[in-house]
Amino acid sequence: MTTAYGVGIGWRPEIGGFVAQLPGLRFAEVVAESVHAHGDLPVGLAELRDRGVAVVPHGVKLSLGGAEPVEPARVTHLAAVAERLGAPLVSEHIAFVRAGGVEAGHLLPIPRSREAVDAVVANVKRTQAELPVPIALEPIAALFDWPDDELDEGAFLTEILERTDALLLLDVANVYANARNRGTDPLALLDRLPLDRIAYIHVAGGAEHDGIYHDTHTDAVPQPVLDLITELCARHRPPALMLERDGDYPSAAELTGELDAIAAASGYPRVT
Amino acid sequence: MNLAAQGDTWGIPGPAFLVLYFTVIISVLILSAIHRRVLFSGNRSAPVDRLGPQQVAYLNGGDQLAVYASLGGLRGAGAITGGPGKTLQQSGPMPAGTTPLDSAVYNAAGRRLRARDLTGDQWVVAAVRQLREGLEAQGLAVTPAKLKAARAWALVGALVVLAGVARLVDGLQNDKPVGYLVVAIVIAFFLTIMLLTRRRRATHAADKGLRALRQQHAYLAPHQSPSYATYGATGAAMGVALYGTATLYTMDPAFAADADVQRINAYNNSGSASGGDSGSSSSCSSGSSSCGGGGGCGGGGCGG
Repeated sequence: MTTAYGVGIGWRPEIGGFVAQLPGLRFAEVVAESVHAHGDLPVGLAELRDRGVAVVPHGVKLSLGGAEPVEPARVTHLAAVAERLGAPLVSEHIAFVRAGGVEAGHLLPIPRSREAVDAVVANVKRTQAELPVPIALEPIAALFDWPDDELDEGAFLTEILERTDALLLLDVANVYANARNRGTDPLALLDRLPLDRIAYIHVAGGAEHDGIYHDTHTDAVPQPVLDLITELCARHRPPALMLERDGDYPSAAELTGELDAIAAASGYPRVT
Repeated sequence: MNLAAQGDTWGIPGPAFLVLYFTVIISVLILSAIHRRVLFSGNRSAPVDRLGPQQVAYLNGGDQLAVYASLGGLRGAGAITGGPGKTLQQSGPMPAGTTPLDSAVYNAAGRRLRARDLTGDQWVVAAVRQLREGLEAQGLAVTPAKLKAARAWALVGALVVLAGVARLVDGLQNDKPVGYLVVAIVIAFFLTIMLLTRRRRATHAADKGLRALRQQHAYLAPHQSPSYATYGATGAAMGVALYGTATLYTMDPAFAADADVQRINAYNNSGSASGGDSGSSSSCSSGSSSCGGGGGCGGGGCGG
């Protein structure tokens, strides 16, 4: 992904009307599982695509981090949706959502072991073989570390990305949450990551409960996350940064304010 | 029914009369449909896309929906809330840029009216009348005069029914079989009732504009679970206007239930109302043609 798209937003049906009227928008993301491979596109999405906005399918159920191979039907669906949307890339999580046929209903973290790296790499390669476009991988927020971790986060991600030649979808709110909850420095992780592989950035809000910061996607983006964006962009500015809001949607004015704050923090022009 | 029998009622054989009778019925239907089309065409250059939510609601679902659109807007702005006993209450200042109907509803909430009784409140009634007259002047709402003109066709229908009845009486006296005729009279009777009672609120021009509006605001459809916090008071009002009171239940289920908001499905309403005119006339002509081709119909069960 060489084009610089600037500030984008996660398209959700609940705020489709708001996204549609953002004059400068060039980048949006849609949950891949919410788009039919052949049926009608969700209301408003075709208009967005036809306007020239890059609409990236974001998978949540591929289970790339599972011990078993990815389900071929899910990969086919992701590829078909990418075609339909004319997407420049797709994205998925480095996580598992099912094991032995049982659905967790959640993105679960995988242990950072060599064995896990091998399993993820194999699944990513299976997926890439069918995809018409590159894939960006997103590490997930984890409130805990597995006891048998052999690699640190930076080494784990770098190895997966290098062996698969995949792009990175970095969630700065996750980076912030993980560092804060573990008492580590978020910048230290940034410096260990291949920043030139970043396809785009997720920016989301969170809230603190009982001393633990949760990456909720339903609260306002806190200032430290915006500061982290500025630090990141000073090192290597990613082609796109998008606001990811998944519920408890605020007023249009607040959403506009968050988009403008991301623009200001990254140095990209406003899209509102 | 013998062809060319000597004792034909009025000198016309039964089958010939039935063909004539159905021809007249179909002609009346076609002519009245054409007349309605002309009467209700409306002003094609009227700016439907610049209408406010309450005007759209009136065209879509009548007085009641216009009131609910106002209610949705006021609720979205935090100006009203539900009180005890399904009443309304003011909960904030009157928002800026409101319509006369908003003022009337807001004041009614100040008097703790029940949501269902709003359409009977004299100030609300006056505001809705003002709204409707404005739409009529713009060629978007059907005027009472034009509706009356369209209903005049029921008189013609009544004449057709009377002619059938007269023939029936004479036929019975002549001891002729009248099974098909009775069926024909019943059909003519119900079609006449339809000509008399069929209403229409929005002109064809308005309906076309409403379809465009619905497409433009498809994101407000309740099944999108629209975020009304994001779309604001106007979005809430437009949601009610285009998609009915389901919007109020999606936006604020507690309030809608407390205020005992009536379920009005505007989308279906307008579907059947706009489909109503072209749709029902076509379904009627096909209905009557299937009966006119109706030796078949009679051969089945209507005959006797």
